Amino acid sequence: MAVRRLELVMTKWNRPRYWVIGGSSLAVAVLLLIFRPYVLISGLQSAGLYAAIALPMALILGIVGIVNLAHGEFLMVGAYLAYFFNATMGVGPLASIVPVVVLMVALGIGTYRVSIRKVLAAPELNQLLLTFGISMVLSQLVNLIATSQPRSVSMSYATVSATIGSTSFGVFDFVYDVLAVLILVGLQLFLKRTRSGKAAVAVGQNPTGARLVGINVDGTYLLVFSIAIGILGILGPIFLVRHSVFPMVGGAYTMKSFSLVAMAGIGNLTAILWCSLALGMAEAFIKSFQGYGDWGDIVFFLMIIVVILVRARRTS
Amino acid sequence: MNQRSAIIILIVVGLFAVTLPLYAGPYPQSIGQMVFLYMSLAVSWDMLLRSGQISFGIAGFFGLGAYTSVLTVLDLKLPPLLSILAGGILAGVVALVVGFVVLRLRGMYFAIVTLALAEIFRVIINNWASLTGGPEGKVLSSVIFGGDARLLYWLTLGVAVLTLLMSELFRRTRIHFALTSIRDNEVVASSSGVNITAYLTIAFAVTSALQGITGAAYAQVYGFVAPDGSFSTDFTLLPLAMALLGGVYGSAGPVIGALLLGVASEFLKLYIPYGHRIVYGLVIVVVILFLPRGIAGIVRRKRAPREGGHA
Repeated sequence: MAVRRLELVMTKWNRPRYWVIGGSSLAVAVLLLIFRPYVLISGLQSAGLYAAIALPMALILGIVGIVNLAHGEFLMVGAYLAYFFNATMGVGPLASIVPVVVLMVALGIGTYRVSIRKVLAAPELNQLLLTFGISMVLSQLVNLIATSQPRSVSMSYATVSATIGSTSFGVFDFVYDVLAVLILVGLQLFLKRTRSGKAAVAVGQNPTGARLVGINVDGTYLLVFSIAIGILGILGPIFLVRHSVFPMVGGAYTMKSFSLVAMAGIGNLTAILWCSLALGMAEAFIKSFQGYGDWGDIVFFLMIIVVILVRARRTS
Repeated sequence: MNQRSAIIILIVVGLFAVTLPLYAGPYPQSIGQMVFLYMSLAVSWDMLLRSGQISFGIAGFFGLGAYTSVLTVLDLKLPPLLSILAGGILAGVVALVVGFVVLRLRGMYFAIVTLALAEIFRVIINNWASLTGGPEGKVLSSVIFGGDARLLYWLTLGVAVLTLLMSELFRRTRIHFALTSIRDNEVVASSSGVNITAYLTIAFAVTSALQGITGAAYAQVYGFVAPDGSFSTDFTLLPLAMALLGGVYGSAGPVIGALLLGVASEFLKLYIPYGHRIVYGLVIVVVILFLPRGIAGIVRRKRAPREGGHA
């Protein structure tokens, strides 16, 4: 019964705020559909990618309670693994998802066992510095092995396009939206329907209480951390299909994921979808202006700051 | 090690540092320049850390200082030494303005926003091509002091000494107690009458100004600025690794760390041209896991066995 109440708290649908966010995104989307259909499509596609990447970060932050500053670097490692499977054995990125996930889960287990677990009781400063250090180790290890030259694969299905009216666009990127929804549903089912998922929610709410009722807290952290890294193992190869990868490619995704998690509120997975729609659209909108595309990144970062400040004020 | 022997060691090391150009060749001097500039960054980062706030934005203020210095020399014909001061002032003022907003945040929020700030500065500089030269950056017509290696060395030494003096000022005045109490427990600090916002703003502005001065000196010594070079992750990563390895919450630790890693980095660059930065990442991870008080912490623990604990 207690667990049930906790999960209700965890997924509390804070109505007024989501009606505002959801309603305004819908209004913006309709306007875009009329005036700039291309922005709507590319915004939708990048929103899917951002949401899919942010979800595992939210899982770690919500349950293990650690900001993983190496999040984007784990994605990068997953993409590079797929690249190497393709370059050495000719395995396509989609076919390589299975071995990549296995390797990434192993990497996640190793990282947790060797490092993360040891700073769980340490001050937050140590946790931040540790994951920052891990991000550098991962990106520089890849730099050492594969140099900083950008790598990509060319797949025939990556460039399939469709045309609606006068706008033609790539179809493959919608995979990210499908994935984001699948990951969200999968995680929600895991957290609400399975025994270990319910235990994970309880641990996220109160580790001491969870330990008192007999939950294996350390095992739960390990499970959650490796699930999150495993999801990045699914995303890495698919990321590779449409993006060229280089050792520093992950950093931007770490920050974008964090801003989405902060905007949605820690512990609220569903809201990440709405927030990534808003941010993806805003970014695509700025990028659609000729010559000002480079300012797209800054909009994202400014939004991080504004959103975090608004939330910080509200909670204090 | 008592007070007197510490002073003697300090004088000997200081004399050695000042007189190095008189008997060492240009290569040790150029290593010395890099070590002093990174030392200044490491110490200034630690100064803010003493209040419990982690900044990942060192490279941002470093780059702002570098650009201000080069642009004031090129566009306003400011003398190079004054332009270094200008770099520090601009970085400090920017920190004051953004600090007013950003310093409401704590912990992971503050850390990530500083990381984003560095990125914002870089994007602005990169895109404001009419002023900054865009992605190509700007080149000075001549290096400061006409490139006299000894004067360049003493300039960087001066920057490091300035930062160390500020750090000691922070250590020995009431600022020290204010920042430490904020780090330990903010509620207790504020109910004991510590003006948290004021002290954090001072610490953030001063350390950012020092990072700006360091960046300005760097730009004057090497004679150019570019968005990717002046805002490089190196200027965040290396000082962090140095301060952590040496030991945080004091001036001595970052100095020790900067000396060790700064000299080591020269050899690393030679032997591992790609990916030598992995060493700094490993240093950060290993120090956090096994030696949270750094080298200075080991020394201190030997002297007072009961002291210790987490960084």
